[in-house]
Amino acid sequence: MSDKKPIIPPNGEGISNGTRRDFIKQTTVLTAVAMAPGTVVKAASDHIDEQIAAVFEKMPLKMEVNGKLQNLSVEPRSTLLDILREQLDLTGTKKGCDHGQCGACTVHVDGHRVNSCLTLGVMVNGKKITTIEGLAKGDELHPMQEAFLKHDGFQCGYCTPGQIMSAVACIREGHANSEGEIREYMSGNICRCGAYPNIVNAIQEVKAGGQTV
Amino acid sequence: MKQFQYIRPASQAAVLDAIAKSGSKIIAGGTNLVDLMKKGVMSPDKLVDINSLPLNTINTSPKGLHIGALVLNSVLSENSLVLDKHPLLSMALKAGASPQLRNMATVGGNMMQRTRCAYFYDTTMPCNKRTPGTGCGAMGGYNRMHAIFGSSPQCIAVHPSDMCVALAALGATVTIAGKKGERHIPFTEFHRLPGEHPEMDNHLATGEMILGVDIPDNNFAKNSYYLKVRDRQSYAFALVSVAAALDLRGGVIKEARLAMGGVAHKPWRLFDAEKFLAGKAPTEENFNKAAQLAMQSAKAYEYNAFKLKLAPATIAEALKHAGGLA
Amino acid sequence: MNKPIPTSADGMSRVDGRAKVTGAAKYSAEYNQPNMAYAVLVGSTITKGTVATIDTKAASAAPGVLAVLTYLNSPKVPGHIPTKAQKPSSKSGPLKVFYDNKILYNGHPIAMVVADTFERAQYGASLVKATYNKEAHDTQPPKNITQGVGAWGGKDFTKGTVDAWKTAPIKLEQEYTHPSDVHNPMELHAIIARWDTPDKLTVWDKTQGTQATRDDIAKAFKLKKEDVQVNSQFVGGAFGSALQVWPHEVAAILGAQVVKRPVKLVLSRPDMFTSVGYRPYTWQKIGIGATTDGKLVGITHEAVGQTSSFEDFAEGPINTSKGLYASPNITTRYKLLSLDVNTPTWMRGPGEATGAFALESAMDELSYALKMDPIDLRMKNYAKTDPDNGKEYSSKFLDEAYAMGAAQIGWENRQAQPRAASQNGWLVGYGMAGGMFGAYRDVAVIKAMMKADGTLTIQSAVSDIGPGTGTAMVLIAANKMGIDAGKIKFEMGDSSLPDAPMQGGSATVSAVGSAVHDACTVLKEKFQQLMGNGGTDKPDYVKILKDNNLPSLEVLTKSAPGPDNQKYSMQSWSVHFVKVLVHPATGVVKIDKVACVADCGKIISPKTARSQVVGGAIGGIGMALMEEGIIDHRYGRYVNNNFADYHVPVNADIPQIDAMFVNKPDPYINPIGAKGMAEIALIGMAPAVANAVYNATGKRVRDLPITPDKLI
Ligand SMILES: Cc1cc2nc3c(=O)[nH]c(=O)nc-3n(C[C@H](O)[C@H](O)[C@H](O)COP(=O)(O)OP(=O)(O)OC[C@H]3O[C@@H](n4cnc5c(N)ncnc54)[C@H](O)[C@@H]3O)c2cc1C
Ligand code: FES
Ligand code: FES
Repeated sequence: MSDKKPIIPPNGEGISNGTRRDFIKQTTVLTAVAMAPGTVVKAASDHIDEQIAAVFEKMPLKMEVNGKLQNLSVEPRSTLLDILREQLDLTGTKKGCDHGQCGACTVHVDGHRVNSCLTLGVMVNGKKITTIEGLAKGDELHPMQEAFLKHDGFQCGYCTPGQIMSAVACIREGHANSEGEIREYMSGNICRCGAYPNIVNAIQEVKAGGQTV
Repeated sequence: MKQFQYIRPASQAAVLDAIAKSGSKIIAGGTNLVDLMKKGVMSPDKLVDINSLPLNTINTSPKGLHIGALVLNSVLSENSLVLDKHPLLSMALKAGASPQLRNMATVGGNMMQRTRCAYFYDTTMPCNKRTPGTGCGAMGGYNRMHAIFGSSPQCIAVHPSDMCVALAALGATVTIAGKKGERHIPFTEFHRLPGEHPEMDNHLATGEMILGVDIPDNNFAKNSYYLKVRDRQSYAFALVSVAAALDLRGGVIKEARLAMGGVAHKPWRLFDAEKFLAGKAPTEENFNKAAQLAMQSAKAYEYNAFKLKLAPATIAEALKHAGGLA
Repeated sequence: MNKPIPTSADGMSRVDGRAKVTGAAKYSAEYNQPNMAYAVLVGSTITKGTVATIDTKAASAAPGVLAVLTYLNSPKVPGHIPTKAQKPSSKSGPLKVFYDNKILYNGHPIAMVVADTFERAQYGASLVKATYNKEAHDTQPPKNITQGVGAWGGKDFTKGTVDAWKTAPIKLEQEYTHPSDVHNPMELHAIIARWDTPDKLTVWDKTQGTQATRDDIAKAFKLKKEDVQVNSQFVGGAFGSALQVWPHEVAAILGAQVVKRPVKLVLSRPDMFTSVGYRPYTWQKIGIGATTDGKLVGITHEAVGQTSSFEDFAEGPINTSKGLYASPNITTRYKLLSLDVNTPTWMRGPGEATGAFALESAMDELSYALKMDPIDLRMKNYAKTDPDNGKEYSSKFLDEAYAMGAAQIGWENRQAQPRAASQNGWLVGYGMAGGMFGAYRDVAVIKAMMKADGTLTIQSAVSDIGPGTGTAMVLIAANKMGIDAGKIKFEMGDSSLPDAPMQGGSATVSAVGSAVHDACTVLKEKFQQLMGNGGTDKPDYVKILKDNNLPSLEVLTKSAPGPDNQKYSMQSWSVHFVKVLVHPATGVVKIDKVACVADCGKIISPKTARSQVVGGAIGGIGMALMEEGIIDHRYGRYVNNNFADYHVPVNADIPQIDAMFVNKPDPYINPIGAKGMAEIALIGMAPAVANAVYNATGKRVRDLPITPDKLI
């Protein structure tokens, strides 16, 4: 592969920022290729060049992650979770099931908690993402992080980023008014180590403390 | 997951254009579609993201309460108009999925979500709904979660939604748009029974989309209840769920509405039981009789026979809650 | 007795807690390497037979795909992964990945696609198409299970008279089944394999034992131990699933060899059901008899546990009956049932958790037959010496634990008559059950180094799957050295560090903790020697180093069990008390209150110890109420291999859990007086729930899990 010359325009870098149509205009090779991705895949398998397919099938994605603007080029099928973990090396957000069944991948999109494993990256274009890495202010932990530490709201720690992102949202949403309500509204985050009561205690403490979360 | 094209049209007309082809699929919250695409159960060539359309409003209208197709399940469950006029809908929504998923899931997507049948999800197994003609894996297989009403030899899957059970009970109407314009159908006629064509979940035609639902005003707000029985306390699909709504006046049931989830290919309205309750007193005895009436056409398979007992028990229990007896 | 109940805020917070709450803690899949490729496994879709054809053309041609490995083209593994299951009788042993075309179970890896991105590898995997020569398979335990099961499983055991329970005036015989439960730690098993040279390998791998994994990989690939580096800094739970090297780990290493790039392989959640073991389906029968005043006459405990067609995995469900009560006559029989499934493995409380469900349910049934309080029945048969071998116990305060738990749950509110209490329309029931698990101590080595700035670094190869090993070690060292815990750093999860056993059998604190204790003792003595005149008990380490012109002082200490570990019977004990609410119409069970008491010697780290007991109890609640791996036997294939259909408890299922400790040091097991607690935290919980459900409803559920359908 490395000996094949990429048939991408010299200003290939611009591709990730431009739209797909711009890109097609820029290249003569590609205008010969039909629009359907299937054709491109076939072109690739016919060894025209794999890298065409790679670029062709990617789309620009601009999002703000933890306050930092990210300009990316992603396949539409890439989930926000995989983009965070594999492309941005923000591995604090975890994959526990990849199907919306565990909550380990919980992040905030424009302040709301969602499962990033079922969120296509291209669908959060222009949005603000907060992950566990963006919660603390420098060395100063977020009150929820402090409370999790104090109440041992975890054991192995794998579900923890998702739990904390969810816990912060739980209070912001106004769903932390009783132990029962917290339990129900934290049920989208599975903890196989069984830290649930400690998690509830942590949330209750933060809620009672009245700090802004 | 197969590669696909992704577009996000800015207008309804552009969406309708884009979904005219059979390989195109609307995506709203993505919580069901992305899941199924990862599994290879659905593999559209093109995703049409409808999130730029102005379909996320909840407002009162001459027809009652209008809810746009893009309203999030979480937003809907907390909306003051809903809590005030149709608390049953809020209860049902809150019983579904998880807070995170409800923050993504839309009304239209919830209606269109596909069955959770394991045979449907596993592309190596037979399933007439996924791959017509391959047989029904669940029929002679592990069918604990499956239908007791309205199934066909082709399919015994159930519709997994909680929200839809409440909307069926509340007699909502669905607004659908297509190239030829808009049409309205009663919610209870939106989803279909499997019959000979289990691959079709509902009566939405190719090229059509859901714009929203309307719930007519009613007198059920004070006496309604959603009861969901599941294997754990939260974040699980229903073994059986019941939406019960009573219009109680002067100690008499003026009108009753009952619908069940987890028992059929569609939200299952219990018309006979409703009829029986009309004009009766809200007593435990009447509730039990209504529950028995509701079970007349029920039929069980190897692993779901317990539903023949659980379903009437849940109906009676939900009615007791709605009627203030529990 | 009136000790305050520990709270979640008591004690020192975890030393690695900050890393865990900020997302800085890195698990195996998170060491992204330059030029790394991604691997995805393809599993068989039949259960038994051979691969006839395998078409990898489309996959190989798909964008980004670098290689597709199958048995046809994969490099062969030069050695073998040694079996961790019991000595294979006539069986072929651990699965050799991409070795031949045989299919041994549904999901057996038949191919692996390696591509430049995860998405492309996954799509490539969907394009691999195989055809098979199918053979008839069997994945279903037969109805008359004792017929035709394999002979192996250990020798029958009898103390006193065989089946003496039959002669007792009050007796019962019942069968209990336990489905296959899957560990399902939240972290998916993952490995990144990187060949540094053709005979030097580095892996970031989810393992409970960096060195055991290193040794097994070295054996398999015929490498020198020192040329295999295993890193496992943070492990996102395991519960036994990471006690051995599995085929996917070998596959990733092979893949890295083929594409000459580092390869990351993360199992999918469905893969987790067929790739890394599970707690096996087990059928049990208990015959138990007592005199009319409740003295046990005899217990007979039979069990048949599921295993695979290619490995004999045996565990000890029957051990519970050998050791829990002072019965004069005990008979046990244990057999294995070979099915066309993947091989089971140890899962938290292996054997004993299964066994305790049967025995402690049967004891409860007996208590009703005798019209005797279940605690009184247990006290009446309290074992003062080990009924199995007559040895004295190194320590046993289970009687105190019974009393503490009973007081905390409000046992006096229990109605002796089932289905006699209700609360807001829900039936109320109380139940209790106990557990025991051997307390062990293994050999471990610790390096301890005091630096000029007064910080102490301690090193061990040990992994931490969640209990808080580092925290406990730091506390032991702080205590011994008399310095602030904040000055101590514990380095771990690296096979090149000093020898440590695997994290299993609740023995880490006992082994590694003792080594920390011993190393610190030696180190402190060195300082005291430097001071001369016998030193003081509180040496000023910084000053001594400075005075002696030393940059640092270090020791490497090996710590091993002594003769006492043979002389005494060493066990950890627990008792669980549960109050349940059961809805009479819908059969829904709510756990209302839980009190657990552990007698596991001295508590080293109160905060993490409490969390461990709480977590074990929750695992037990899952086992009791919802966990069950379900196979459609027509296809031999799982139909609930995901977190939506395989239920584990969620937050809403769990109330506050009162976790208490007897907290009396064991004088003999090791210098720190701590016994294990991970297993006993779970063992006994499931029968406690089942017994409470019986007390609430009058329905005895003998086939786990206790789902609503079984109670209506
Ligand atoms: C783990 C898990 C647990 C769950 N538990 C529950 C539960 O307990 N109860 C429950 O009710 N649900 C549950 N759900 C399902 C969830 O409610 C649905 O996935 C969600 O409602 C789908 O909405 P969406 O907007 O994300 O749909 P999408 O995934 O975006 O779309 C789903 C389907 O609807 C179509 N569609 C979407 N909008 C429109 C429109 N306006 N017009 C026409 N077609 C449209 C799409 O083409 C697609 O075919 C669960 C889901 C998961 C993953
Ligand atoms: S990884 Fe997203 S919910 Fe499990
Ligand atoms: S801390 Fe291990 S899964 Fe929650």
